[in-house]
Amino acid sequence: MSALDNKKSSYIKKNKKVSFTFDGKKYYGYKGDTIASALLRNNVRLIARSFKYHRPRGIYTCGIEEPNAIVQILNEHNEPNARATVKQIYEGMKVDSQNRWPSLNLDIGSINNLLSPMFSAGFYYKTFMGPKGFWKKIYEPIIRRTAGLGKPPKEFRSKSIHQNHNVDIVIVGAGLSGLIAARKLIDTEYDVLLLEQDSFLGGVLKNSNKVEQINNQEVNKWIKETERLIKISTNIKILKNSLVTSYNFTNHLIALEDKFAGKAIDTSKSELTLHKIRTTHTILANGHIERFISFRNNDLPGVMLASSFEKYIHRYGVIPETNPVIFTNNSTTVTLLKSLVDLGHKPVAYVDARDKNKIGKKLLTYLKKNNIPFYFNAEIEGCDGNKKVETISIRKNKNKIIKVKSSMLCVSGGINPDIHLFTQSKGLVKWDDKLITFKPDVPFQNTITIGSVSGNYNYEKTHDEINNKLSFLKPKNIEMKIKINDTNNFNIKELWETRHEKKSNWSKSFIDLHNDVTTKDLKQAVVEGFDRIEHLKRFTTNSMGTDQGKISSINSLGIVSKILKKEISEVGTTTYRPPYAPLSFSAIAGRNTYEFYDPQRKTPIHNWHINNKAIFEDVGQWKRPWYFKEHDSETMHQAVQRESKQTRQTAGILDGSTLGKIEIKGKDALEFMNLMYTNPFTKMKPMTSRYALMLGEDGMIKDDGIVCKFNDKHFIATTTSGGAPKVLADMEEYLQTEWPHLQVYVNSITEQFTTFNISGPKSRDIMSKVFTEVDFSNENFPFMTFKVFNYKGTEARIMRASFTGELGYEIYITPNHGLELWKRIFHHGNVFDLVPYGTETMHLLRAEKGYVVIGQETDGTVTPIDLNFNWMIGKKKKDFIGKRSLTRSDTAREDRKQLVGIVPLDKSEFIEEGQHVVERERLPNPIKTPVEYLGHVSSSYHSPNLNHCIAMAMIKGGNKLMGKKLFISSSYGTKNIAVEVVSPVFIDPENKRLTS
Amino acid sequence: MILINCPYCGERDQSEFSNGGEAHVARPENSDSLNDKDWGQYVFYRDNPKGIFYERWVHSHGCRKWFNAVRNTATDEILKIYKVDEKTPKIDSFTNTLKTPSGEPKVGSGNFTVKK
Ligand SMILES: [Zn+2]
Repeated sequence: MSALDNKKSSYIKKNKKVSFTFDGKKYYGYKGDTIASALLRNNVRLIARSFKYHRPRGIYTCGIEEPNAIVQILNEHNEPNARATVKQIYEGMKVDSQNRWPSLNLDIGSINNLLSPMFSAGFYYKTFMGPKGFWKKIYEPIIRRTAGLGKPPKEFRSKSIHQNHNVDIVIVGAGLSGLIAARKLIDTEYDVLLLEQDSFLGGVLKNSNKVEQINNQEVNKWIKETERLIKISTNIKILKNSLVTSYNFTNHLIALEDKFAGKAIDTSKSELTLHKIRTTHTILANGHIERFISFRNNDLPGVMLASSFEKYIHRYGVIPETNPVIFTNNSTTVTLLKSLVDLGHKPVAYVDARDKNKIGKKLLTYLKKNNIPFYFNAEIEGCDGNKKVETISIRKNKNKIIKVKSSMLCVSGGINPDIHLFTQSKGLVKWDDKLITFKPDVPFQNTITIGSVSGNYNYEKTHDEINNKLSFLKPKNIEMKIKINDTNNFNIKELWETRHEKKSNWSKSFIDLHNDVTTKDLKQAVVEGFDRIEHLKRFTTNSMGTDQGKISSINSLGIVSKILKKEISEVGTTTYRPPYAPLSFSAIAGRNTYEFYDPQRKTPIHNWHINNKAIFEDVGQWKRPWYFKEHDSETMHQAVQRESKQTRQTAGILDGSTLGKIEIKGKDALEFMNLMYTNPFTKMKPMTSRYALMLGEDGMIKDDGIVCKFNDKHFIATTTSGGAPKVLADMEEYLQTEWPHLQVYVNSITEQFTTFNISGPKSRDIMSKVFTEVDFSNENFPFMTFKVFNYKGTEARIMRASFTGELGYEIYITPNHGLELWKRIFHHGNVFDLVPYGTETMHLLRAEKGYVVIGQETDGTVTPIDLNFNWMIGKKKKDFIGKRSLTRSDTAREDRKQLVGIVPLDKSEFIEEGQHVVERERLPNPIKTPVEYLGHVSSSYHSPNLNHCIAMAMIKGGNKLMGKKLFISSSYGTKNIAVEVVSPVFIDPENKRLTS
Repeated sequence: MILINCPYCGERDQSEFSNGGEAHVARPENSDSLNDKDWGQYVFYRDNPKGIFYERWVHSHGCRKWFNAVRNTATDEILKIYKVDEKTPKIDSFTNTLKTPSGEPKVGSGNFTVKK
């Protein structure tokens, strides 16, 4: 029989029809329906194809635990892997099935099922091993197409926000126990947050009629009254559609709120809110999840968990099948049976694995009275049918098989407290022999479990339990009289899997529906030695799907314990990790996406750069001009060659505002600087500057910059553009933790000064025109000195320094005057052919001069000695950071990689950065034994001023290899490029340009 | 995410802080007279125990102050926080809650690392 409406639905709005499409076909449901309940209403049973074998699958559950019915929502940026059992429909929703081709009904991938021996346990590890190259070209594309889930979202811009809460108590779950707890806390001194994953309160009270009355009134009335009382209370806030996904340390919980549950998404608003909750106490009232039983073809569309079937009747008002078969090993199915009978229907058979006295007289009489075919001590052997359940085989009296016809089979293998969150919180669980499941034992944090999550399945006793467990909070006394519909006797019998009769490749008994893991796979894994549960999980991929084995993971422990002949408590569980249910990346990202992902830092000259066709480069968070296009068709290479050439011929200017600047002040500033840097600063004259190096305690170069000494109590140091925060933090660290006796204050002044680097033979002429009051003559303003002067009422500083090897000045000016000054420099500079240049030209020019870049020539394994920077080391200083390490046996080695220059013998050839320096002309093909390599090329440019390639390299014992012929590998082939080792200073080795 | 009680600002989210590794590793004053091994000990070697650990933290996205903490690395409980110039608390003033040598109970793994 097909689906029918239950007129007494507790939730669905029958007056509001909603249309939606599934695989292009239009269906109707009601407002409040999930995709699953609406499809069941329309007698659609085939929903998906399975992960590996592409077997037909239907709706197995009625909630978050769904392993089969996962779908793609086309009109929500193609959102994949939505659970049809959770996602509510709305007008115009477009839903597609996943993992099928060409169609759900005719799926070619289902051939995998016949090839299933190949897909057995560990097949990922065994099958795709070789030959070489097969993975990328053959295996991966095939796996990507046939195995798997939905397609990734399209044109997706995340819209979610984060919200923080600080409360005293969080109640997770607004079912019977959660609502009782909340009601007891109304108008107490506590701030309480009540979180409910559904769009309404009530949980189990709405999922079934297991609880008949509360305080002599209908349960729905009691829920409404409770919700009203909570809403008018001043201390409790309810968050619906909010699923707690993580329970972290220090009572920190994450809940995901779906702002558009049951509605079409308004793209101008945020779709999801990620609630970050800090609480003092957590009350877990998140209930239980039913588990299944493995039998032959327990995955056929039509097999459904019994309590889910019950949920569809009571919550959604749809009876998926009026005459199903019920298969159970416990008493929770009694209310389902009664619900069906009360609605005028009758199961085809009631199959109970237990013997008569466990079942109880009451139920036996009921079954007899209502003339329901009844089998005790019996089990389902399996079921058969074409893409749906048609025939169900019942095994009676151990061997006799009876076949009955029905399109649905409701299964209950018992219920598990939903311990996921409790174990995430690091609480310990223990095995309960009576309930045949794990339940919470010792909490690790301030966690209280109440109701079925605590292993209390007796609704009559829920209130006593809560009174008892919450007494320390001194909550209010309330009246609670709970009348239940049937027995409170759970009386479960252990049953994980039934015995198979048939054997064909199509017959399978599944333990994990989502990942297509069979009970046979578990056995095989144990045989192959994966007898530890964590290993077994990974080897078989059991419970590793998006459902995380919510209806089956305890079953797998049961089956494995039988194979291993161990107690289940000895087998233990695998680790429950957050999130509890799939959490979209967009929710995690929140607002931190695209341009908001990381701040962009722009200099005061930024807009001028844009107007002058600058192409930008990211340096840390800074946007720096990389090069300037003279005209639109100019290539980067052309631009850089032009900028470099012109700077050496006339003058060039670089916006160096991003350079880190740190001011060091205080009585002991000199002593501090002597400790922080390798250089000696004591004898340095005031108003002079010096190129300085900072090391780690391991002796490796950490940062460089120019240090300006005003006097012994005042220094300003520049750092690399990316290194400024780290250098400042290091200075603070040493001041606070190693030398607290030093009176020194360090402060970042990077943003306080806009910096320009002007260099080239004409730079003095230009500077003299711009700053007419400053004497730029060599005698009055020699190399590595600086002057401070008043510029329009602000303090400005000009330093004579150069990173190009040409005559050069650095200008430090308040950012407010930055752009204006920049323009003024060009106003005077145009006559001298002043050219703006970017970072690429800066790198080229410094390479021509043999200047290193920290992070390019160095990589954290380079000492100053390796760079021939011995002259920068204050050997007479008693101490500085890293000093002792410069004489460690390793740093003192003579065959360390040292900085050299490299030029190709054939001047037309170009060397690539990052290539290896070797001694042989040709590399063997294929390379069978490692080729000894001497080092690597750290920088390489085509020098427009020398008109050939120049490179810098770090090579073993480089200082002793001057003039030697070596080879550089290339990305083009096995033939290497012949080069000569030379000094890394290619231009003006006598520093004439610099100092004249 | 754990909460850390900055001695200058009060309780703040862990994301505001940076960990500075083992505390009370004094920088040798007479590094010239140390042999490679002893100097190497200072530069490269730090303890990493499972259980009680003295470590440094800095409120890097806050007051930028360094301070010390005693943390149980197995449970992430911060047992004590004290300023750099305050007295080091004695290790026997803390109870190490780990029972088995590895801290793992007999049952399961992962979440069960903490056995009270
Ligand atoms: Zn602070």
